[in-house]
Amino acid sequence: MIRRGGAPALVLLAWLACALPTAAHDAEPLPALDFEPPAPGTYTLHRIMAAPDGQVLGLDGRPQRLARFTRERITLLGFIYTTCVDPDGCPLAYRVFDTVRDAVAAVPALRDRVRLVTLSFDPARDTPAAMRRYAGSRLRGGDVPWLFLTTPSARELMPLVEGFGQDVRYEVDRSSGAVRRELAHVLKVFLVDRAGFVREIYSSTFLHPQTVLNDIETLVLEERAR
Amino acid sequence: MVMRQTLRAGVVTALCLGIVGALAGAAHADETCNSPYVTKLIKGQEDYVYVWALGVEGLGDGSDKLVTVDANPKSRRYGKVLNSVSVGSRGEAHHMGFTDDRRFLWAGGLADSKIHVFDIGTDPARPKLVQTIGDLVERTGYVGPHTYYALPGRMLVQALSNNRDKGGVTGMALYNNRGALIAAYPMPTDGGGDGYGYDLAVNPKKNVLLTSSFTGFNNYTRPLGELVNDAEAMKRFGNTMVVWDLKAMKARTVLSVPGAPLEIRWSLAPADNWAVAATALTSKIWLVKQDAAGQWQARDVATIGDPAKIPLPVDISITRDGKGLWVNTFMDGTTRYFDLSNPEAPRQTYQKVTGKQVNMISQSWDGKRVYITSSLLANWDKGGADNEQFLRGFTWDGKELTQVFEVDFNQEKLGRAHHMKLGSKSFRGAPTPR
Repeated sequence: MIRRGGAPALVLLAWLACALPTAAHDAEPLPALDFEPPAPGTYTLHRIMAAPDGQVLGLDGRPQRLARFTRERITLLGFIYTTCVDPDGCPLAYRVFDTVRDAVAAVPALRDRVRLVTLSFDPARDTPAAMRRYAGSRLRGGDVPWLFLTTPSARELMPLVEGFGQDVRYEVDRSSGAVRRELAHVLKVFLVDRAGFVREIYSSTFLHPQTVLNDIETLVLEERAR
Repeated sequence: MVMRQTLRAGVVTALCLGIVGALAGAAHADETCNSPYVTKLIKGQEDYVYVWALGVEGLGDGSDKLVTVDANPKSRRYGKVLNSVSVGSRGEAHHMGFTDDRRFLWAGGLADSKIHVFDIGTDPARPKLVQTIGDLVERTGYVGPHTYYALPGRMLVQALSNNRDKGGVTGMALYNNRGALIAAYPMPTDGGGDGYGYDLAVNPKKNVLLTSSFTGFNNYTRPLGELVNDAEAMKRFGNTMVVWDLKAMKARTVLSVPGAPLEIRWSLAPADNWAVAATALTSKIWLVKQDAAGQWQARDVATIGDPAKIPLPVDISITRDGKGLWVNTFMDGTTRYFDLSNPEAPRQTYQKVTGKQVNMISQSWDGKRVYITSSLLANWDKGGADNEQFLRGFTWDGKELTQVFEVDFNQEKLGRAHHMKLGSKSFRGAPTPR
C-alpha cells in the first residue's frame, strides 16, 4: 500500500539522495533540483493523448506491437538513436532512465508496476543487434523491465514518432559554409499509464529522476484510489 | 496533402540512409521572449518576421492574416512581404506562440476567441492554416485567448475574460499539440487574487509559472477615449501577478502589482531567477524575485516616462543576457532602452520616437536587430494620420536605433500590424499530421 508521504516516497527520496551523484552512466552527475517538487498524489496528471500503436522489433528481431509494451504497467518511454552524443539529448535520457530504474527497483510496491522502453528512431543503423550492444549490461538483472526496441524501417517508425509528437525533421546547417541537410530531434520522454494514455511529457528542460518518480507514484496512488 | 507526403517521403528516405543529427538541448528563445520549451534557436540571422495582423473593414479582404516579411538583408526581397494567409474572418488578431517543436504557430483572436494553427514547418516562408480551434469558450467559459505558451507536447493559453459577464475574471486553458483541450485552470479569486489574466511565463529551474493581469472583454473592445473617461470601468483592471507551482498548476502566492502588469520576461541568464513586467496604467517596471527567505516578492524598481501623461507601456523585450530591456510606450510612440545590469534599479539610457503609435517590440538573439509594430487593439489604436500601421526593422549598435526597412500595412492592405515571431528557412521539416 502506498500512502501519500508514506514509506515509498521517503524510500525514493533517500535512495535518490544517495544514488544521484553516482548513478550517471559515463557522465557527470545529474544536477539536483532547485525546487521542492509537489508531493506525489497532491497534483493531477491529465490525459494528454493516447499512446500510438505500431509495429516494432525486439532484440530477437521478431515483430511485435508497441502496445504490448505500453499497457498494463506504467511505462517510461523515450526515443533515442544509438549514435546520439548531445549531452542534453539521448545520453541524458539514458542517465535518467538508469536512475529511475534503480530507484523503482528499490521499492517493492513499485517494481512490479513500472517498465522502461527505449525506442530507436534510426532503424537504418539501429538494428536489433545494435540495440543489444547499446543496452549492454542493462539487459542483465534488474527487477524492472527495460525494453530496447527498434523498427523494421522508417515506414513503421514514422506513425509512431508522429503519433507521439516526437519531432524528427530536416535541419539545414550552413555553419560550415556548405548547405548540409540532416535530421534532427528534440528530446522528449513520455510517461504512459496502464491504460495507454500519455500523462506527462518531459523535455530536457524538465527531465529529472525525482520528478519522474513523483509522477510514477502519483499514477500508482491514482490507481489505488479507484 | 501532396506536400506533406513528399516531405514525409524525404524524411523516410533520409532515415533509411541513416542520416541523423542531434539537436536536443536546452532552449531559450531567438527573439528572447518565447517559452523556454521552444526549441531550435535562431542564434544567427533570421530569415522571416511573421506578423499577426488584425483585419480592417474595407481594407483588402478585411480579415485577420498572418504575414511573412523577408528579414534577411542578403535576400533580394529584404523588407518585402513574401506571403500572407487570411483566416477568412475578423476576430481581433492579437498574440501568437510557437509549439514546443516549432513546427506550428498558434495565433488567436480576442474578439472571436478562435485559435488558428499555422503550419510553419512545411514551408517556413509560406505558412498554411491547418486548423482552427473554436471550443475555448464552450469548454472553459474563458474568452479572449491572449498568450500561447509552449509546454512539452502542449500549449498553455492565457485568456483575458469570461462569457458570463465579459469582465476580467478568467483562466488558463491547456491544449495538447493537436488542439484537444486537456484542462482549464481558473485564475485565483481568493488570497488577494483578482481573477484577472494577461501574460504567463515559466521558469523551469524554479518550477514557477508567473502570470499577470489586464482587463476583460467589456473594456478591451471599447473605444479607448470613451473608456478612460469612465471611472467605474477604469477600476476594472488587474492589479496582481500570481506565482504558481508549475508542476501542480496551483496558485501559491498573489503579488500586489497595481496598474495592469502586462508582458512578463524572465532573465535568460543561467544564474538569474528573476523576472520583470511593466504596468500599463502606472508606467512602472516591476521586479519579481525571491527574498532571502525564498519567498517571491514584487517590487516597483523604475518609472517609464512621465506616468502623469500615461505613456502606456505596452510590450517589453529583454536581452539574452538579462542586462537590457526595450520598452515601447504606445501613446507617445517611443521606444526606450533600460540598462538592467542592476535589476533592482533599472536605468533608462536611450529613447527614440519610432512611430506615431508603437506596441510590440522583438529583438534578435544577438540583440543587433529590433522589430517594432504599431497596433494595440482595434478600438484603442489612434485615428486619422496617427493611425500608422507598420512593421519597422531597425539595427541597434548599442547607441542608436537605425531604421532599415518598413512595411506599410495600410498601403499593402494588410490591416493592423500586431504580434511578431521570427522564422528561419532552415526549420523546414515534415509536420505531424493533424
